[in-house]
Amino acid sequence: MTAAHALGRLTDDQRAIRDAVRTLARERVAPRAAEIDRTAEFPEDLRVLLAEQGILGLPFPERFGGLGADLLTVCLAIEALSAACATTGLILAVQELGSLPLLLAGTEEQLARFVPGLASGSDLIAFALTEADAGSDAAAVRTRAVRDGETYLLTGEKRFISQGSVASLVTVFAVTDPDADRYGRISAFVLETGSPGFSVTRLEHKMGIRGSPTAELAFDEVRVPAANRLGAEGDGFRLAMRTLDRSRPGIAAQAVGIAQGALDAAAAYAGQRRQFGKAIGEFQLVQGMLADMDARTEAARQLLYTACEEIERGAPDAGRWSALCKLVAGDAAMAVTTDAVQVLGGYGYLEDFPVERMMRDAKITQLYEGTQQIQRLVIARALLASER
Amino acid sequence: MGGIWVVGEVDASGALTKLSAEAATAARALGEAGHLDVTGLIVAAEPDRAAASLATFLPVVLAVRAPEAMDCPAAAVVAARVAALAGAAEQPPAWFVLGASPDGRDLAGVLSALLEIGVLVGATGLAWGDAADGVPAGPRVEMQPFGGRLLTTSGFTGDRGIILLRPNMVAAEPLAAPGRVEERSVEAVTDPPAVRVVERVAAEAAGPSIEEARVIVSGGRGVGGPEGFAGLRELAGLLGGAVGATRAAVDAGWIDYATQIGQTGKTVKPAIYLAFGVSGAIQHKVGMQTAETIVAVNRDPDAPIGEFADLFLIADLATVVPALIAALRARTG
Amino acid sequence: MRIVVLLKPVPDPGEERLGADGRLDRSVSPVINGNDEYVLEAALKLVEAGGGEITLLSMAPAGVTDPIRKALAMGATRAVLVSDPALAGACTWTTVQVLAAALRTLEFDLVVAGIDTSDGGGGVVAAGIATLLELPYLSNARRIEPFEGGVRVERLSPAGHDLLEASLPAIVSGTQLLGEPRYPSLRGIMGARSKEIAVRTLADIGLADRPVGGAHATTAMLDARPPASRGSTRVVRDLEPAAAAAAIVDFLVERRAL
Repeated sequence: MTAAHALGRLTDDQRAIRDAVRTLARERVAPRAAEIDRTAEFPEDLRVLLAEQGILGLPFPERFGGLGADLLTVCLAIEALSAACATTGLILAVQELGSLPLLLAGTEEQLARFVPGLASGSDLIAFALTEADAGSDAAAVRTRAVRDGETYLLTGEKRFISQGSVASLVTVFAVTDPDADRYGRISAFVLETGSPGFSVTRLEHKMGIRGSPTAELAFDEVRVPAANRLGAEGDGFRLAMRTLDRSRPGIAAQAVGIAQGALDAAAAYAGQRRQFGKAIGEFQLVQGMLADMDARTEAARQLLYTACEEIERGAPDAGRWSALCKLVAGDAAMAVTTDAVQVLGGYGYLEDFPVERMMRDAKITQLYEGTQQIQRLVIARALLASER
Repeated sequence: MGGIWVVGEVDASGALTKLSAEAATAARALGEAGHLDVTGLIVAAEPDRAAASLATFLPVVLAVRAPEAMDCPAAAVVAARVAALAGAAEQPPAWFVLGASPDGRDLAGVLSALLEIGVLVGATGLAWGDAADGVPAGPRVEMQPFGGRLLTTSGFTGDRGIILLRPNMVAAEPLAAPGRVEERSVEAVTDPPAVRVVERVAAEAAGPSIEEARVIVSGGRGVGGPEGFAGLRELAGLLGGAVGATRAAVDAGWIDYATQIGQTGKTVKPAIYLAFGVSGAIQHKVGMQTAETIVAVNRDPDAPIGEFADLFLIADLATVVPALIAALRARTG
Repeated sequence: MRIVVLLKPVPDPGEERLGADGRLDRSVSPVINGNDEYVLEAALKLVEAGGGEITLLSMAPAGVTDPIRKALAMGATRAVLVSDPALAGACTWTTVQVLAAALRTLEFDLVVAGIDTSDGGGGVVAAGIATLLELPYLSNARRIEPFEGGVRVERLSPAGHDLLEASLPAIVSGTQLLGEPRYPSLRGIMGARSKEIAVRTLADIGLADRPVGGAHATTAMLDARPPASRGSTRVVRDLEPAAAAAAIVDFLVERRAL
């Protein structure tokens, strides 16, 4: 990376892991990024690479074969991967998102059953909360889970499920008590995608993160053992919200990575491209853009790192921190990538350079795991609650 | 003061290598400047032919028959006899000039340890220098470290040393009249090495090796596949040159490692270097940037090779290579 | 098999520069010498297949440990770093003596080294060490395999390759053809933090009173200067293939190359 980062706040382990992932991203991921985008195929080779290198094991406890990394370390890895390829960074972000309900509420027996495969990277896990009519209003889900002896029968549909078609496990949020209030209606289950009645009904064609399959899932009386329910019946909504409090920094990290990748590409181009007899980087209007891009990226990064530290130490306003960092980082990624296209001029609009892809990829960070509007809502609610 | 010894290298057919002739020529000039005798040595199972060749460049060549060289790697065998000769010589040698080939490097390492003297590796030029800066009068060795980004001159702090000369730095020039070959017999100073050559496998060779070629036609990732190298081979044939490659092309399995130029491959200094689809990454650049003339063809206007090529064509090699083949054919009729 | 890998930290190729003392500045972005990574990978594969352990042996300034840590993260068992202020400015002959003396303090079946180093070292050190230790030396390996108490090596030759055999212990220098080095896994990186890098001085390896080190260098650099500039690049674009070919031919004729 061209920007020098003063990162005295990172531990030796964190720096070593970041540097190793950065090297891998530069040498193995970056050369694949354009093709992944063009073919819109899930990069199974890179999933294997991330698994072999232990990167997919970062969020999981050491006793189950993971690396037991803290949130900031996971985010450093997502950031480094996303600087080369947002789709690849998302593999780790979704692995964390999908497994958080399990890690937060799973019993020792459940952890022992599911985590080793996730930590080794042989299993991927998706997070299935959103439905066609339950997006920002997550409590409005309609997928039903009906108790039948020692099992539940799941019926319904989920939409916009990242990696839903390549995961072997899905954490599904379904209504167990339709009569309860929004905080008690829903329960969470770990569903094995090989179960009869489970199907992938559609893959979306998207503007960005095109190598990451976004699936529509259908459940037709899928039988899930009661032993796969996470937490008590009715705990699902709170678990989903606690999950998002911890997972949004992963999206912020993806956004910071995308921004850094675009900034690096723009700075390199500005140093090489000559117009009017000199490198365009010598023109002050271009310099101003690059400086603003760096400032936005670095500000988002530092807020992200602070949010990770606050959430990790159990801050009571963890939800506010996660919303803050995703809000700022998502907007930074969108602005910085747009400016990067501008710095490259007409070339920036071509597939030959990575910045147009980065601009398309950046947009999703303003949308998923809560739109920027929802982040503001979360922040404002936290502010007003503390004023009460 | 002792003289200069040139230890010649013998190839698989029993002939003297081109690099050894270059080393002999360089040593002769050094001897004239420093008023030192220059002696050639050939240690081999069958030394006669190479010794006669070396004698066309040097006034005196000692030929030593070493039957064990059939079954052992050359360096240890040769070094043990050379060290013995040096120990027995009335005028022990002060300076050794060897070619910086793989065998030459091995030989220098063994000889250095046997005689407890220093080595300067990768000389690009030799001169005689007077005492200066605490360094006595002796050979001054020009080298190009850091992949040619620096030119240095070094010397030996004592009165003995080994110099390894890079290929293609000196044009071999025979003497007006050939020198004489003297057969010598000497026991090795050490036991024959405990390394057995079980089998020697010859790969199919075509044209000059890239280290000795005057023209190199080189291909990188942009060549696109093994079939792309067919065109480059044809081009190299028309120009009397050899085919080279970048590590990316070798790693992709498009062409043999023997052709790889760069940091972990060979260092070349041809008169003409034609680079097709070669980006010019530093790892490749360090192996070829001292070529006299560099012509690069690349589709990417930002390829780093554009910064150090003499002629940089921003074009698609897939169309330029056939056109160039046709143009060269038309020239030669 | 107990394998020692001779591992040289070198400045990242392209980044090398001379320090104020006119010597190579070894603190500049040190990396594992390229060819040493290949022999380390070969050693890791040998140990994975047949058991054993890998000791890294380096001679470098005390602060230059990042490359050694990386090699430990790739899977080496431990490291020995010979580091002594007296070694600044050491010549090839000193390096040979120091590494040979350090090897005398280690137990091993096989020593492997990269065929040469990117910072100007020329592939003579391993041969010198083998000579001092009176061990079989097998150079330019493109393949290394164990063989009934010995080692079998395919050595690149100008004509093709030679198949060599020697008994153990032996010293082998290897090339890129040994195979692509692995990336250190994150687990390896975490685990490497607790692995030992034993620092040894010249006294520790019995060379305190010997004429080795910068003060006893057999060679000295007298002058360093930038090479003559290549001159400017002639850039040609937007030509039809035939015109592009003609441009190349004309240029070669102009340079008297045809």
